[in-house]
Amino acid sequence: MGEFKVHRVRFFDYMPSAIRTMAFNSRSERLALARADGAVELFNFADNYFQDKVIPGREGRDTEALCWVGRRLFSAGLNGEITEYDLEKLRPRYTVAAFGGAIWTMSSNSQGSLLAVGCEDGTVKIFEVLEETIRHQRNLARQKGRIVSLSWHPSGTLIAAGMMDMIQIFDAETGQATHRLLVEKRLRASKSVEVVVWSVVFLSDHTIVSGDSAGKVQMWDGSTGTLIRTYLVSKWDVLALAVSQDERSLVAGTSEGTVIQFQFLSTVDQQPEEWIRTRTFKNHSHDVRALAHTETAVVSGGMDVQLVVRPLLDKVERNTQEAALRKIAFPHRNLVCCAKKAGLLLFQFPEHLEVWRLGESDGHAGRPGDRLPVKRKPEKLIELKRKGEDHICCSALSPCGGWIAYSTVSGVRLYRFQHNNNIRISKVSRLPKVLCSVQQLCFSSDSSKLFASTSHSSLIVVGLNQSECKYLNTLKPKSDSRQPVHLLAASDDGRWLAAANTDCEIHVYNLEKMKIHCSVPIHSSCPTAIAIHPVTSSLVAVHADQQIFEYSLELKEYTEWSRKLQKQGLHSLWLERDTPVTHITFNPRNPAHIVLHDAFMFCIIDQSLPLPEAKAVLYNQMTLRSLPESDRPRHSHAFKICKSFQHLMCVSLLDDHSLVAVERPLQDIMCQLPPPVRQKKFAT
Amino acid sequence: MAKKQRGEKSLQSKKADREKRTNEFKLELDSSDDEAPDEVTFENSKTQALQSRKEALDRARREKELLKDKRRKRQELFQEQKKRKLLPADVLEEVASAPSKKQRPSTDEEDKQLQKKKRKLRKSLKHRRVVKGNYTVMLVKERVESHQQQSARDFVQSRLYGPGSHRSTNNELLSLENKTGKNKGAAMQFVKVDWASKKKAKAEKEKKRWIHKQQILSC
Repeated sequence: MGEFKVHRVRFFDYMPSAIRTMAFNSRSERLALARADGAVELFNFADNYFQDKVIPGREGRDTEALCWVGRRLFSAGLNGEITEYDLEKLRPRYTVAAFGGAIWTMSSNSQGSLLAVGCEDGTVKIFEVLEETIRHQRNLARQKGRIVSLSWHPSGTLIAAGMMDMIQIFDAETGQATHRLLVEKRLRASKSVEVVVWSVVFLSDHTIVSGDSAGKVQMWDGSTGTLIRTYLVSKWDVLALAVSQDERSLVAGTSEGTVIQFQFLSTVDQQPEEWIRTRTFKNHSHDVRALAHTETAVVSGGMDVQLVVRPLLDKVERNTQEAALRKIAFPHRNLVCCAKKAGLLLFQFPEHLEVWRLGESDGHAGRPGDRLPVKRKPEKLIELKRKGEDHICCSALSPCGGWIAYSTVSGVRLYRFQHNNNIRISKVSRLPKVLCSVQQLCFSSDSSKLFASTSHSSLIVVGLNQSECKYLNTLKPKSDSRQPVHLLAASDDGRWLAAANTDCEIHVYNLEKMKIHCSVPIHSSCPTAIAIHPVTSSLVAVHADQQIFEYSLELKEYTEWSRKLQKQGLHSLWLERDTPVTHITFNPRNPAHIVLHDAFMFCIIDQSLPLPEAKAVLYNQMTLRSLPESDRPRHSHAFKICKSFQHLMCVSLLDDHSLVAVERPLQDIMCQLPPPVRQKKFAT
Repeated sequence: MAKKQRGEKSLQSKKADREKRTNEFKLELDSSDDEAPDEVTFENSKTQALQSRKEALDRARREKELLKDKRRKRQELFQEQKKRKLLPADVLEEVASAPSKKQRPSTDEEDKQLQKKKRKLRKSLKHRRVVKGNYTVMLVKERVESHQQQSARDFVQSRLYGPGSHRSTNNELLSLENKTGKNKGAAMQFVKVDWASKKKAKAEKEKKRWIHKQQILSC
């Protein structure tokens, strides 16, 4: 293993936005998450919690509620509009204005035919869900005060609406308000401060559970309109409630970051069952604003931008991989593009792009781990703001650094970039009309072609000339999958192009003949990173379940090494990692090396060394260093893992054989979050 | 008028009363159990009744007219206010006439030239239109957010982070370990990194300039 000069980059100020709301679809096992900037992310819980789809946000969307109706996803926000998303093209399908002011909440009935929306002006509007659109049906009786939360009774006949200082129960058929439940204010609070009922849940036995800003979780009898039980849970607000499918478990999220579970049990035998507070989870440091209760786990998210999945230990087996706590903080795709020949980095932010030139050092290699003096500091060359209001979906920088391209839901923009002596950027006008809704962009290694993926997993090839571009070809796969392509990889010699979509398919195209070459056999898990080896022309793919495959493109079959790896199986510690591999690259000096990384480690797989046994120590780099030279070959195995850099956003190898490691420590993100609640602890 | 009427009426009534009283007095004076009461003729009472009805009708009519007057005056006031709100009439005329001017038909010979000019104009002016006089009509480029959306955002912000929400800082949360742990240390953000950033950038520029100058001087 050679020694690398490492550019340790910490100037990528990546700041994810807070999680505002979430909705779980139990049939497709997918969680939809809406963030404060309007972005919607989809996580596949069946596939190791992989984030397979991201719909970029938009300025001023302010999503407040997310709702699944069958396989369709709807969102509503403070801009007063209901949006339906196209999950195959990753863009909003249409928006319908509700004309009620800001929309605070949205909920669908259990039959999936009606959508109820709670507005700022005090009306609950009912929309009919039709085949291709939604249509306003009627308004329920208008109230004096904003509707902050809504819940349908499972039969679809009653609606409970949480407002300021009270909960109103409506009859969904007549539209009249029947019962009014008054919520008490906080003890020793002034009369002018109203209690906001942040969330309500209507259970099938006509019990209404509410969480309010006074920190109480209250259980009411919906048929008589009386209070059954009050739990004072927190000194701050209770912001979210979620109930399980079988209605025996309820969770409440507070501003302190705690998630409290209530269960419907009987404490003593032969006593009637009631709601009893059972567990408290403190997995967040800031407010918990979004909650979902799946069959086996509690999913929570909030202002500390992390998604936490906490499996409930009475539903899963203890001490297994399934029962582990999962925290997802970083995106499962690459936001950094490295121009290998030019030594430039492109950072993708939602609202702008930044291009940086890496610094230089003329220090010589000393002991491993030494810091080299910096001769020239890294500098930001250009900051490119996006045009329009939509956020950037994907971006790419050509390896020579001369072309920058990015796409939003409204279109693609291509720029010619000069970075040698003076910095100049000019927009390429008149792009081919076919480049409209693009999900992924990739430049060829000689910067002569731009590859873009569009609907139905097809690819568009655009030829680049001096300052203009010309449409060359469209490549279509043999399968008629409608899922979007989320990974694109071009080979260094310009002969092959590989595209992976969220249907777990990987198609390889021959660029000389401009048609499809082969399709890799489908593995049950979605690929998270793909790359084509420059020397051996084999495709290396890592999947969400941490499996690694190597497929030879010339022979159209798995390579010998890949079969050996599958036969022996991967080490258990490798399979238990909880972040996916997001980037694969190769070492120009040694064709047997594969360099890949995830958020916590980067690994160099040496194909010439033996594979690790099941009982061997996986992370043995430190022990190998302590052994004398002669003993090392006996103990070393193929997986060389380094954990010195965290949290990694990208690891790449430049043409001058130096390594670039872009880090974003979680603490830097935590320092810029909004303020948490003040908790007085003894002796602080 | 009404007052007068009332005054008249009162006078009349007073007169009538006085008459009645005098009558009564007379009666009392001359009365004796034998004499018959005085006759009030039918015509008198009829005319009295008719008069009182006419006066009532007159009063009602006059009140209606008064209300009509009031309403008319209010309507005129509103119209005047509305006129004040709109742009002065001459600007509106010019703006209305400007597109009509553009739509004037052009002859065949100058067709191409005009089209070229139009395209150039459209490209250069884009969202601006210069109109006769000193007025420019321009589309607002920035997205104007509705007042309702902003007030909704403010509501959530004030409930969660406003006064009375008892919030601390991130620095305190992250520095808890440093403060209370075995090896006590400084807070996470002890040094304010962005302190005097403009001054530092300026100093950096000056340093570069000085080095450059020195290089020029030396060679």
